[in-house]
Amino acid sequence: MTAWNLQVRNLRKHFGARAVLDIPVLHLEAGHCVLLSGRNGAGKSTLLRILAGLETPDEHTEVNIDGTPRPWLRARRALRRDVIYLHQHAYLFDATVEANAAYGLRVAWTPTRQWRARVREALELVDLDHLAGARAGTLSGGERQRLALARAWVLQPRLLLLDEPTASMDREARDRTAGLLKRLKSDKLCMVITSHEPHTLATLPDDHLQLVEGRLQAAPPPAGPPLWEVEGAAPAPEGSVPRPAPSAGATPRLWESRG
Amino acid sequence: MELVQACKQALVLLFSGNADLWTIIGISFAVSVKAIVIATPIALATAFVLAFFRFPGRGLALSTVNTLLSLPAVVVGLTLYLLLSRSGPLGDLRLLFTQKAMMIGQIVLCFPLLVAWSHAAIEAAERSAWETAITLGAPPWRAVLTLLHEVRFGLIAAVIAGFGRIISEVGSSMMVGGNILNYTRNIPTAIALETSKGSFAQGIALGFVLLFLAFALNLGLSFFQRRGTLGP
Repeated sequence: MTAWNLQVRNLRKHFGARAVLDIPVLHLEAGHCVLLSGRNGAGKSTLLRILAGLETPDEHTEVNIDGTPRPWLRARRALRRDVIYLHQHAYLFDATVEANAAYGLRVAWTPTRQWRARVREALELVDLDHLAGARAGTLSGGERQRLALARAWVLQPRLLLLDEPTASMDREARDRTAGLLKRLKSDKLCMVITSHEPHTLATLPDDHLQLVEGRLQAAPPPAGPPLWEVEGAAPAPEGSVPRPAPSAGATPRLWESRG
Repeated sequence: MELVQACKQALVLLFSGNADLWTIIGISFAVSVKAIVIATPIALATAFVLAFFRFPGRGLALSTVNTLLSLPAVVVGLTLYLLLSRSGPLGDLRLLFTQKAMMIGQIVLCFPLLVAWSHAAIEAAERSAWETAITLGAPPWRAVLTLLHEVRFGLIAAVIAGFGRIISEVGSSMMVGGNILNYTRNIPTAIALETSKGSFAQGIALGFVLLFLAFALNLGLSFFQRRGTLGP
């Protein structure tokens, strides 16, 4: 996968008189994983939906993909091509597991032989190949989320936006989802993950930001030890202090705040 | 006993292949199927626009559609009669007492029902269905088809209800069709005529057809709802 980067400038969004987002610069690039936290109504989902081209920001928002700056409206098609947004509760079409995984390839008129092979690979990746012929409505919560990930993975997006991907999951389902996310990250896929419980994703993200009154800022260290460890990651020593949030000076900043 | 006797005669008429009876049934189906086929895509598009877009006058449009649900068939017939009669504004089209006039009446009758039921079905669909289709790369027209597919059972129910409404309506067909034998005489107008003549057997035979049709349509709907296999 080629290096890819996205820069959004002057990202603002109002609902009526209420300012929901006010982000001067947001920068994302291939292989980078950002954890985004914030209180209810802080604007996390709105930010993700704007990045996915599903919601229109206020005027003057500029999107720069791979060095080509464009107004948001003109960049929307490119965003919809490169970015996939996964809802908190994955919507699965009323069809089989295989048909769901193949949806994006089929609407792109991919030849049947090709999409079948790609979908088989994706279902094996998420360990749902044995359920390929089952109706998607019969899957459990964790299986639904894995199918949604497979459905996104077959399209090889540049940026994956995950809205609370582990919400309402038990530990086993969270572990499996986390393992998949780690695998996707190793494929140089850029990810933004929102979570109300940032400590549950402590070992996965490169950066942890939080939205406060519509503005991005470095998040404080997680409140507790991770609820689970990503497969392959070294477990935290007993009694150790949780990983602190990255300092602004250690790596180039992904965002800018006003004032 | 008279009713039992009439029912027996009705069954004989039906299964002996009585030409007049089957011609009436054929005309009924031809007119109503054409009407529903023409009305359905327009009604679906209207329902989608009303469900998915917010624009000035949307509330008024929805109220109008809901009001027209209880539109009496005879009022549609009367209005069309005035429009299509020789002295009416559309008299030059020479449509009065034709199957086309019956079709127009039936389209007017089933349109509000199709819109209202389809609108309810589309509104009940999760917005995330649309967004998921879009974010997976579907162009808007394909996302619309996906969404309609997701609510297909509600839409099939709308079409079945609309068809049931027009196949059994008598007021409009009688007024603008004229009940002409072998041309505009359909099942409901024939039942009305035969009953007024005291010839109950043919009326009951045609009633059986309508009942059987309703039963078959409901069976079909249940079948699709159970199977849910109309394809992605």
